[in-house]
Amino acid sequence: MTINKLIVIFLLSFLQLRLVAQRTDFDFYSPENRLKFANYLYSTNDFLRTLDEYKTYLKSSYNDTALFKYADCFFNMERYEEAAATFKSLFFNSSLEDKAKLKFYLSNFLTGKFDDFRKLAQYEVYQPEVYRDKVKLLSAISYLYEGRKVEDTTAFFEVFPDSNKAEVKSLYYLKLNPPFKSELQAGLLSAIIPGAGKIYTGNISDGITSFIVTGLTAYLSVSAFQHNHKFRGYLFAGIAAAFYAGNVYGSVASANIYNAKISIEIAKKIKFYFHSRNYYLPDLTIK
Amino acid sequence: MKKFLLILLIVVNAISAQNSLEFLKAKADSLYKSHNYFDAITEYKRLCFFAEMSNRLQEYSYYCNLMIGKSYKGGARFDDAVKYFFRAALNANDANSEFIAKIEMVKVNILRGTLPRASEIIHEMEEDARFLNKKDSLLYWKAWIHIFDEDWESAYQILKENQLSYEMQRICRNVIEEKYSVTFAKTISYIVPGSGLIYTGNYLQGLLSLGYNILFGYFTADAFAAERIFDGMANGSLLWLRFYRGSIQAAEKSARKRNKEIFNRALVYFQLNYDGAKP
Repeated sequence: MTINKLIVIFLLSFLQLRLVAQRTDFDFYSPENRLKFANYLYSTNDFLRTLDEYKTYLKSSYNDTALFKYADCFFNMERYEEAAATFKSLFFNSSLEDKAKLKFYLSNFLTGKFDDFRKLAQYEVYQPEVYRDKVKLLSAISYLYEGRKVEDTTAFFEVFPDSNKAEVKSLYYLKLNPPFKSELQAGLLSAIIPGAGKIYTGNISDGITSFIVTGLTAYLSVSAFQHNHKFRGYLFAGIAAAFYAGNVYGSVASANIYNAKISIEIAKKIKFYFHSRNYYLPDLTIK
Repeated sequence: MKKFLLILLIVVNAISAQNSLEFLKAKADSLYKSHNYFDAITEYKRLCFFAEMSNRLQEYSYYCNLMIGKSYKGGARFDDAVKYFFRAALNANDANSEFIAKIEMVKVNILRGTLPRASEIIHEMEEDARFLNKKDSLLYWKAWIHIFDEDWESAYQILKENQLSYEMQRICRNVIEEKYSVTFAKTISYIVPGSGLIYTGNYLQGLLSLGYNILFGYFTADAFAAERIFDGMANGSLLWLRFYRGSIQAAEKSARKRNKEIFNRALVYFQLNYDGAKP
């Protein structure tokens, strides 16, 4: 047998193997390929699909970067409790330990359960070595979110960056003493001058309407009595009384609504302030 | 001999890679056909990713984006669908493929109610010299935009003038004949209160409205005739005029509601029985 023939036989055998195995050669679902695809999906912010790919990949292999990204998918989809639980699994024996711990705290913070968050913030074993001050900062922000009074304000403001201290202070005092309108005052004002309570709460057109309607019906009632139209007098007196009572009640309700609006606006303002500054946290994304 | 075998080896290698991507494509298509849109999108994205890795993105990019768009559309994620159809149009290899992708964009814009954007795309395509031979198709989709804009007359005119889809013409004509004139319903209500409601088929409501108007009109006139000016003013403004104005508003509302029912019936007919292309 010549060398040429041997080469031919070898190549033919090789080709046959290639043809038979053509599907397994390109196994798109192998752990390596899944990981590549998951990373690609993660970079395109398609977190729902990324979750599936990482989940399947992590069943067969351990990779802390993949696990971190898997947790980050939950985080980006605002599934904070699942994110926190997954970040927790990276607390030990991982190069991403510190980042995972901080993300764990941030996830817990964003669930809005601030009491639980503050309890967690005290666990020494969970504290990220590098980002210990950041956890303190999140804890301080949680007080601001809730509008809780702090005993030692100097220490409280100390954790915030110097450049933002003045703004944070103003937000803190705004949350503590919001510019609410007194419901009692609104009711009393309307009891004295119909509509005045509504004007006091900023509903000027409503206030003027209340004043005109109550005044007009009262005038019609008086006028009817003066002309001995008793039935008409009582009818308009009744209507005037209803408008008057409605205007007092409406003014109290108006103050209530005004206060609720102020509360929501302040909460939004505080949330936006810290969210737009990423809660003073460093960039925690990984490549 | 050796050279031949080496060439064969390279060809088989290429075929093998090609077959694998085709296998993935077939899997994605199968998921799409079985209406499993979420998984279909995943597989099309996977196809796109691995095609890029093996430097074959050019071959699959258009198809993947088009199918991802269709899958998003199937799952009623219209905003995402438009994004991918746009990408497909950008990656199209020829004018025909681009036309298909752009028409898909028009269809999704019709479905999500962004009709001005759909019209804008059609207009851009009409201006494009490459699509001169597609005039009929563009007019056909223009008619669909009019239908969703509840302008059945314009849709009918376009179809009739260009002799397009007789079935669609028939449905449009039926709607035009069947629908109520809102202006007419309001006008007759100004003259005889309640008549607009009777015209739109609300006989009882129409008669009641007429009765109230006669009754309170009589009270008002009677008060003025007896020189009870205040009573006359109160009856006139608080009762009679309120019912008079109410009858006009109710006639308009009723005509619009009836028309909506007719339009929806026609759209349901299109959805279930019309065989031609639809959004």
